[in-house]
Amino acid sequence: MTPLLELRNGTKEYRGIPAVKDVTFTLYPGEVHALLGENGAGKSTLTKMLAGVVEPTAGEVWMDGKKVELKTPSEALKSGIAMVYQETSLVPSLTVAQNLYLTDDKHFHRLRGIYIAGQQFLQSLNFHVDPTALVSSLGAGQKQMVEIARAVHHNARVIIFDEPTSTLTPEEKYQFFSLIDRLRKNNVSIIFISHALEEALQISDRITVMRDGEHVITDDTSNFDRDKIISAMVGRSLSDELHGTHKERKVRRAGEKVLSVQNLSMQNIVRNTSFSVFSGQITGIFGLIGSGRTEAAKVVAGVMKRNLFHGGQVRLNGKPVRYRVPRPAVRDGIIYVTEDRKTEGFFETMSISENIYLGALAGGQTSARGVNMREMKTIAEKWIKALSVRAINGDASVIELSGGNQQKVVIAKALVQKPKLVIFDEPTRGVDVGAIVEIHHLIDRLADEGIAVMVISSYLPEILQLSDRILVCRQGRIVEEFAGQKTDEETIMYAAVH
Amino acid sequence: MKFFGRVSQEQIVFGLAALLCIGFAITLQGFLTPNNILNLIRSVSILGILGVAMGLVVIGRGIDLSLVSVMAISIAWTLQLATDGMSLPLALALGLTFALIVGMTNGFLIAYIEIPPIFATLAMGTLIYGFGRYFFFGLDVMYMPDDAHILTWFGQGVLFGVPVPIFLFAGVCFGAFLFLRYTKYGRYLRAVGDNQLAARITGVPTRPIVVLQYMLSSLIGFIAGIVTAASVSSMNTRVANSTFIYDVILVVVLGGIGLSGGRGGIRNVIVGTLLIGVLLNGMTIMDIQYTVQNVIKGVILLTAIVIDTILNPRDEQTAQQGDI
Repeated sequence: MTPLLELRNGTKEYRGIPAVKDVTFTLYPGEVHALLGENGAGKSTLTKMLAGVVEPTAGEVWMDGKKVELKTPSEALKSGIAMVYQETSLVPSLTVAQNLYLTDDKHFHRLRGIYIAGQQFLQSLNFHVDPTALVSSLGAGQKQMVEIARAVHHNARVIIFDEPTSTLTPEEKYQFFSLIDRLRKNNVSIIFISHALEEALQISDRITVMRDGEHVITDDTSNFDRDKIISAMVGRSLSDELHGTHKERKVRRAGEKVLSVQNLSMQNIVRNTSFSVFSGQITGIFGLIGSGRTEAAKVVAGVMKRNLFHGGQVRLNGKPVRYRVPRPAVRDGIIYVTEDRKTEGFFETMSISENIYLGALAGGQTSARGVNMREMKTIAEKWIKALSVRAINGDASVIELSGGNQQKVVIAKALVQKPKLVIFDEPTRGVDVGAIVEIHHLIDRLADEGIAVMVISSYLPEILQLSDRILVCRQGRIVEEFAGQKTDEETIMYAAVH
Repeated sequence: MKFFGRVSQEQIVFGLAALLCIGFAITLQGFLTPNNILNLIRSVSILGILGVAMGLVVIGRGIDLSLVSVMAISIAWTLQLATDGMSLPLALALGLTFALIVGMTNGFLIAYIEIPPIFATLAMGTLIYGFGRYFFFGLDVMYMPDDAHILTWFGQGVLFGVPVPIFLFAGVCFGAFLFLRYTKYGRYLRAVGDNQLAARITGVPTRPIVVLQYMLSSLIGFIAGIVTAASVSSMNTRVANSTFIYDVILVVVLGGIGLSGGRGGIRNVIVGTLLIGVLLNGMTIMDIQYTVQNVIKGVILLTAIVIDTILNPRDEQTAQQGDI
């Protein structure tokens, strides 16, 4: 069978540094091909070469057995290759139908005309999206549907998904997988980049694993299992370290009650919720996206404000506190480590040392009145070593680090403030497998040292592995509490969705 | 990672200034004399002082369009009060208080009411110009009273053979440099300019820092006003309605302080000021018309930005190097 799309010996260098080295990748008609690897393995760069977003430094792209040169994404689209990005590329202020027909060659569209055409088209794909709705009013899953519909509308024969499921709820994921099945039946080939190995095993026909810009292995999915993929990804077997060991681990006893929240409310998102967090213990909070877990944590840390009336009460070590800005919370030892490090985590114009030192300055942990360069260096070196941040030195810019190392810098910036209560919100989102293990060890160590730790996560194995106590959040309220070792994934999920 | 062969905008502008210098030195008689060089720096020192004020605000991801108005009105009021018989120190103190109140109001509107800085300061500039003209003094141009000649030393005096305004420019630069580098608040200012949300979560008092930033700008504007009034023994308040404020922004942007905040420092202001100084001085010696000078200034700005964009392309890879 001739491959539909091929990259032959493709290399891409960014200023002399190779992101992809001499990789050959083939895609057959009607197959779902999962592309796996740690962050920085070169998956995105590889697909961008295929989609005409970047030009290969060396190597060729072949389509239907002929050499092609794809200089821009729109050229690639014309030859039938569409890419669906992590961040959606839709125009939020236009309606669904306007977005669908945005790049058509017609110069004028009648609104009524495209609404009718859009309705029929979306129905033919079995997508339940209103073509007259503004894109900004849609949820993540529906936006993804519109992106896919647009790709199908352009008669794409190859659709490339870059981490399609990371923003979807379980229900939306289910819909997404059935959609992939339908596309496969229509002989559309799919490249699927993901961090979720189960998903790749579930829906793909073949799997390619990359590491450090190089091709490691390509084989039929039936020849893979979780362990084999992980060891190919990291070059060592991490599966035991990552999952499954929680059964043998000892549960930590609760220390003092550090935080107690009573009847907390914030708009319609957090509804009259109550819970407590104890020192020397990890309290895991599980909930689906939109269940109000992040917002509840942000109110506790002063990042968001609770309702003015009937907003409830937060007590820190028994004393009622109410923070309107994070600064007093930070000074009292409540530190929130964000789930979204790019927009509210680190400072991109600053070096690693400056980021960490800024945390110390703002938390009042420096000895001098002003800025002391020598102190900055010692503090930064200590934390870079403690968290094994991998960078050339402390002067490296944070924006140039991998996701895992960026996350470590954000965590260092929080821990330098000597917290009594740390709230980790999705601590391992967008972090490579090796760093996940290190961050988990670090969180364990914090609890062993007697700090109260809260971990918010929508990844069940992570919650099960870390927590001594598990709280389940649903529709803005903590609805259920489990002891860490006496439960399993199904029980928790059942509590979270019903 | 630093890459060899990467040139910052600051270096490009410095190179351009040096090239212009060499060009003028060869072609223009009397350009490269110590007198002319001192004269050159002296002539841009007010622009440079205002550039430092604007630079601090821009590093904090703001912009202060009321800067020139604050300078003109606060000093004109000081001169009016002194003319009316008030003692000079008291008049200066009142003028400074006025400037600081304006800065504080700017900061309050921007930090607490959350008005975009460009609108808040634009409105404030217009407001205080009208307010000053109506309530404080009647004339467009306020003259230095006779008993205030001690002030003129700041504009016309010479110390060790160097005009005093140059010392003041250097002093303001040095002060702002120390502030940015060695004080906590300087670090906070940079953090707020880089990423306000992250700064807030880290525990930086973001709102007070924004207020501080506009108060500093007004303070430095007041100093620039003293130098202006002292140099020409008067203050022409019509400068508030001129394009002078755009020259100040030009100096900042040309020097390479990114309008996106957090980037650059005082060095960038100095480099930007020098280029403008060399350019204006050379053109004045060549006796080029004012309108043509504007054309040349515009072309230089565009050229600097174009070269910067070609040498440092903002491709997706520099935008997010975390994900390859």
